[in-house]
Amino acid sequence: MTNSEQLQNTILELRRGVIVLAVLSQLDEEQYGYSLLKRLSDQGLDVDQGTLYPLLRRLEAQGLLASVWKLEEARPRRYYVISPEGRQLLPRLKEEWNNIVDLMGKMLE
Amino acid sequence: MNLLDKYVTEVGKHLPGKTRADIEAEIRSTLQDMLDERSAATGKPADDALAVEVLKEYGAPAKVAQSYRGAQYLVGPRLYPFFEMVTKIVISVLLGVTLLSFGLNFANNTSGPGFVEALGQFLVQLVSGIIAAFGNIVLVFAILERVLPTTDLEKEFTENEWDPTDLLREPDPDRIKISEMIATVVFTAIGLAILNLYPNLIGFAYTADGQGWVGLGQNAGEGWVFIPLLTETFFSYLPWINLLGVAQIVFSLVMLREGNWKLFSRIVHIGIEIAGIVLAAVMLAGPALVSLDPSKLVGFSSTEAATTLANMVNLAPIIALSVAIIVGLIEVAQSVYKLIKGKPAPFVPATK
Repeated sequence: MTNSEQLQNTILELRRGVIVLAVLSQLDEEQYGYSLLKRLSDQGLDVDQGTLYPLLRRLEAQGLLASVWKLEEARPRRYYVISPEGRQLLPRLKEEWNNIVDLMGKMLE
Repeated sequence: MNLLDKYVTEVGKHLPGKTRADIEAEIRSTLQDMLDERSAATGKPADDALAVEVLKEYGAPAKVAQSYRGAQYLVGPRLYPFFEMVTKIVISVLLGVTLLSFGLNFANNTSGPGFVEALGQFLVQLVSGIIAAFGNIVLVFAILERVLPTTDLEKEFTENEWDPTDLLREPDPDRIKISEMIATVVFTAIGLAILNLYPNLIGFAYTADGQGWVGLGQNAGEGWVFIPLLTETFFSYLPWINLLGVAQIVFSLVMLREGNWKLFSRIVHIGIEIAGIVLAAVMLAGPALVSLDPSKLVGFSSTEAATTLANMVNLAPIIALSVAIIVGLIEVAQSVYKLIKGKPAPFVPATK
């Protein structure tokens, strides 16, 4: 494995950890998969479809998201929104994230 | 059917049935969105040519399906240590038996061609034996992987559940030994499989001209004479052996789920053990279970050696059954003792 591959893998690992928090934070109002993907991308976080869609299902299975099929423009779309359990969890995750940012900020100074 | 539909169907082929339709619908809707957006952005029509671009970006169907399925395995990480242990034991035993068989063979074929033939047979026997044993072990563990609940086994490995003072504690007599139960299931299943499906593995085979005599566990092919060791009397007991074996397997699986010995399970265990002892005693008292006529051992260098071997083989089940009865009686005694004694007093840390 070359140095640049190692760097890419490590960056991927780092980003993978924040995707759950990013997704939960953006699903305050309901979004379908593709619109969420765009929304994340517009804010600078590019997530692979192969990562996002299975993640949405996993979060739903864990009870952190809810989903519903809707017919829009003659096209069925699955909309996801944060569940009450997810809503409870989100502030704690945000707090933890801020702690990590502080901690790493000091460590890497 | 357009290209997108074909793609979605292809992804669906790699997905489990229960979630397939739902995931397919979601992927189809996403692809349609991507196609529309691409068309609006580039001014190109949303045709197959543009669909090709979108699909290339979305990824190969098998890879897309894989991202929904997660990791798949026959024997997972929680059972792997037991799987490795059982495999090592079985392969070692198999190697030992095959080497013994080869040793006997070699002793009777000191001449060149006979030795080469014996060596060839040894290697064939060893490789096929290892493959068959490995396949059976994988099969049993793959089933265990799917029927065992996750909680009990994970507790064994989870640090949160682990208390360092456990190291000082006397072992809880009511807690089952997971490795023991898994070993019972695996070995009983392999034993039953051999007795029912491959009884010919237990026997002697040799070439009709007396050359290249090979030993225990050889399946006789063309040009070979095979002497099955097990008699009809033995096979008349087979339904009872099967019944007890299956009872033992079911009981061990239930105990793996339960995790702890209880009054009822101890009594059932004692019942199965006693049934085993009774069966062993009946088999011991009855007619011979194996028979090997020394005159049939054409390949042997001397009649004396053939007679000695035949006597040893005929004596083997008597010794094995006697050992089984003694071990069974010890197990029953232990179980009865634990049943009467019950749980010991709770652990109190030793004072300095």
